[in-house]
Amino acid sequence: MTLLRLISFQYVRKHKLRWLLTLAGIVLGVAVFVGMHTANQSVLRAFHQTIDRIAGTTQLQVSAGEAGFPEEALETVQNSPDIRVAVPVIEASVNPGRGNLLLLGVDMTGDRSLRDYDLENNNDDAIDDPLVFLAQPDSLLVTRIFANAYGLKIGDKLPMATMAGPRDFVVRGIMQSGGLASAFGGNLAVMDIYAAQKLLGRGRRFDRIDIAVREGVRVEDAQANLQKLLGTGYLVESPGARGQQFESTAQIYSLVSSITSMFALFVGMFLIYNTFEIAVSQRRSEIGILRALGATRSQIRTLFLGESVVAGLVGSVLGIAFGLLLARGIAAYVGTMLSEVYGVAQNVEDVAAEPWLLAAALFVGTLTSVLAALIPARDASRVDPVKALQKGKLQLIGQGENMRRRIGAIVLFALALGCMSMSYIRPLFYLGYLLAIMAAVLFAPTACNWVTRTLRPLMKWLRPVEGALAADSLIESPRRTSGTVTALMLSLALVIALGGVARSSYKSIQDWLVIALSPDLFVTTNESLTSRSFVFPPEIGDGIATIPGIDLVQMVRTVRINVRNTPVMLVCTDIASVARKIHLPPREGDPDTMYQEAAKGKGVIVSDNFALLRKYKLGDIIELPAPDGPLRMPILGIVIDYSDQQGSILLDRELYIKHWKDTTVNVFRVYLQNPTFEPSVRAKIQEMYGGRTRLFVFTNQDLRAYILKLTDQWFGLTYVQIAVAVLVAILGIVNTLTVSISDRKRELGVLQAVGGLRNQIRGTIWMEALAIGFTGLVLGLVVGAIQLYYTLEISRTDVAGLRLDYQYPINIAAVLLPVILGAAWISALGPAESAVRGSLVEALEYE
Amino acid sequence: MNSKWLIALLTSAYALAQDPRQIMEEVQKRAQSKSQQYEGTLEVVDAKSKVSTKRWEYSRLGAFGNSKSVLRFTAPAEVKGVALLVHNHPDRSSDQWMWRPAIERDQRIALQDRSTRFFGTDFSYEDLEERDVNQFDFKLLGEETIDGKPCWKLESRPREKKVSQYTYSHLWIRKDNYVYTQIEAFNKAGLARRIKYTDIQNIQNIWTARTIEVFDATKKSRTTLKFEKLQYNVPLDDSGFTLQALRRSS
Repeated sequence: MTLLRLISFQYVRKHKLRWLLTLAGIVLGVAVFVGMHTANQSVLRAFHQTIDRIAGTTQLQVSAGEAGFPEEALETVQNSPDIRVAVPVIEASVNPGRGNLLLLGVDMTGDRSLRDYDLENNNDDAIDDPLVFLAQPDSLLVTRIFANAYGLKIGDKLPMATMAGPRDFVVRGIMQSGGLASAFGGNLAVMDIYAAQKLLGRGRRFDRIDIAVREGVRVEDAQANLQKLLGTGYLVESPGARGQQFESTAQIYSLVSSITSMFALFVGMFLIYNTFEIAVSQRRSEIGILRALGATRSQIRTLFLGESVVAGLVGSVLGIAFGLLLARGIAAYVGTMLSEVYGVAQNVEDVAAEPWLLAAALFVGTLTSVLAALIPARDASRVDPVKALQKGKLQLIGQGENMRRRIGAIVLFALALGCMSMSYIRPLFYLGYLLAIMAAVLFAPTACNWVTRTLRPLMKWLRPVEGALAADSLIESPRRTSGTVTALMLSLALVIALGGVARSSYKSIQDWLVIALSPDLFVTTNESLTSRSFVFPPEIGDGIATIPGIDLVQMVRTVRINVRNTPVMLVCTDIASVARKIHLPPREGDPDTMYQEAAKGKGVIVSDNFALLRKYKLGDIIELPAPDGPLRMPILGIVIDYSDQQGSILLDRELYIKHWKDTTVNVFRVYLQNPTFEPSVRAKIQEMYGGRTRLFVFTNQDLRAYILKLTDQWFGLTYVQIAVAVLVAILGIVNTLTVSISDRKRELGVLQAVGGLRNQIRGTIWMEALAIGFTGLVLGLVVGAIQLYYTLEISRTDVAGLRLDYQYPINIAAVLLPVILGAAWISALGPAESAVRGSLVEALEYE
Repeated sequence: MNSKWLIALLTSAYALAQDPRQIMEEVQKRAQSKSQQYEGTLEVVDAKSKVSTKRWEYSRLGAFGNSKSVLRFTAPAEVKGVALLVHNHPDRSSDQWMWRPAIERDQRIALQDRSTRFFGTDFSYEDLEERDVNQFDFKLLGEETIDGKPCWKLESRPREKKVSQYTYSHLWIRKDNYVYTQIEAFNKAGLARRIKYTDIQNIQNIWTARTIEVFDATKKSRTTLKFEKLQYNVPLDDSGFTLQALRRSS
């Protein structure tokens, strides 16, 4: 502690900027870690809170997937001797033009047994007149928060487009804040369930039944009995279990955020390593004096490790603070995206980190710093006191050490190749990935040296004096630059990998769009195609089909169902009709017979990502949870289909209607006899149904643009990752140059003393910066090629099930060249000026 | 009247009066009619003294334990046509359906919901059922005077097959005409509702309360139901007491 105070603190005070830049690596890594995880947790917490608040005192919930189930199930449940109260619920996310509103359709006669609508003043008269509320289907009960936000009072009207046409809803009750009224951030409205059925086009179906069991009956027993009574087509679970499905969809973001933050920390580790290595070199005389005064090697090692702990703690605390600021923005983004992509409504009210996360961040940040300082601390403890007290001599990496690293790199790389050949064993695959990166890290100093030596003639040709000086400085001081180049290499490799995945995904999705989205028009109930709150009756499709100029109308019902505990998309349509128009690229199965057989209801066709993620093969039997019992169907074909990120299952509509007893439709896919009929048919559809029901007509181009917008949103986080990686790369260059200039103050002073011009010194530093940037870029582009392979594999097998082609992102590489060289040069401006404007005498006396 | 006859009558009436079940059977017997019709005015006064008024028409066919009834709101305009169909059974709780013309939907009122308030009034759905004597056990608690009239005070407890929100009730029956004058219904928490029967008149030889006032002890609100154009034994058709009839009439 005394050494830390007397020696380390003084050193840090003298090199504040350098330490700040060093800490930036930890700050950034921890900030990304805290920010992304806090955002994820907040989104999940908001979802759970909404579930809890809506659930009220509900102990069990009965559901049968997104399509819901026929009303008759309610009576079965209510007649169960274990049940005290069973009330039906419909939940829908609607947008009445005042932001997203969670609409809860409940049976007002019995629902108050489970939910309290007016917690604040315990006044039952939240509804102005219960009879009028029930008698009028336009009755709405809103929260005080919502009413205040939009200046609504009892009797005011709220217009909304419904399946029964545009309607003015009347606010007939206001719930006071708290409990149910605070669900979904208070953006909640309650209406009668039977009115909701009509207005949402749901027919005589419920989404779920909320249950309270009789006194003296164990919830587990009631659950088991009810499950037996209803059959396996229904799911009887606690309200909390609903959150698990959402968690599985949000899991993907958790994985992505973990990878990014860990990568940022990994890169930060090299920045710290670099700084400590240079600090050890610079402070060797100080270390020598300490050793000469009797300090043991262990004390020196502890001194440097102590510094790293302090640096780690400070960096982590700053990172946590910064991360919490980031979290709010990320939470809003992730929340919106989950709502857009998955149609899962939630609203993030408050963003707060859990204590364990902050503790983990503090631990990981500090550990990173300590790990980074291990080798420099060891080097410091090995400083020879005699050599250390000789001025102007730096200890270089020994040939032996370099050789050991090279051999280590080759061994690790060979092992990585071995693991790659057995990548079907996932732990081995990930081990191989780690080994490959470690091999690249170990090989980086050697590769850095090779690249710099190769560059030297070019640099000398460009600027004979400055080029040669800069190249020699880099060649002779590999320890000073290798850490930065490694950090740069890793960051840029990440950029290449992420960019490659994005590019491949875009191309694959665009190719799929050309094949799958062949209809000329799409008629939907929502502006957002992922929302399935409103549904059409099939009769509208029959009506549309009578419009002159229309060749074919396909009715599509998409519902999310749980398969192997993961929500996947069930796409139900007339398969024979689909086969007439499109053949999705087959991955497995006979492309001709699979559609014929599926059209006869003899099986299903699944998407490749579904098969990959859920480990299904051609011919496997898949169990679909239909309300009348599990529907076991063989997989007749596996096709490339990007309809849903969790995978899709194509089922014939007739079979769906038979087992789900649901005739509703989400989308009518309309083919025209001639594309030129598009404006007239579109206008006719609007004319026929626009005023009668809620209806949106999209052209083929509209839909493609919408899907690409969703794809952009999905890759939004990838772009954030790329930005973080580039930022870290730039940070590395600035760090190295700042450190390098102060490290070489004396050397640069000598150069000036022997006649070196200021411009030459400046030019040397610029050239050095450009060389570091270029070397890091070259290595990054090479390692990026490996990283891209692993990222595509992870994406294929563990994240999205997307079998993407390996496409090196040459465009991104081309952009990176000027960006990194430009950043390197800009980073060099400050340090170069500092080098040429400093006092010559002071520089010569440095150290 | 011969004094012997008078003594015999008084003795038998006294003997009758000592058996609570017989008292209740007499109540039921005296209120017996083949059918009933009336127009009712309903006035709800909430705890903040806010008053809301509604009107309904009521028809019943059959008598205790085996009757069918339809209650249909006629005013105000927003609630016109909303109806409640009740099928009372001798051996179990009644079946109830609600009809809402605006969405053209009937909805079964589940047994579990019988304890909830009937459309914001202080009646519960259960209170609208007929109290068949065979579905309860009775105990005579004593005699009290209510509104200047001597009454028997009885306790009734629902039998096993009868699903009720109330654990027990106290009933006050007027001695002179065997008419309810007050009911206090209790649940586990204590007094839930107090129902007072006033303006008792003899209509077609049936003593009938023309005003019923319900006081909700929890919410401290009050609902008053007044009967107008009350008639007994009017000819009614069974087909008018079905869901189809409800739908047709909307």
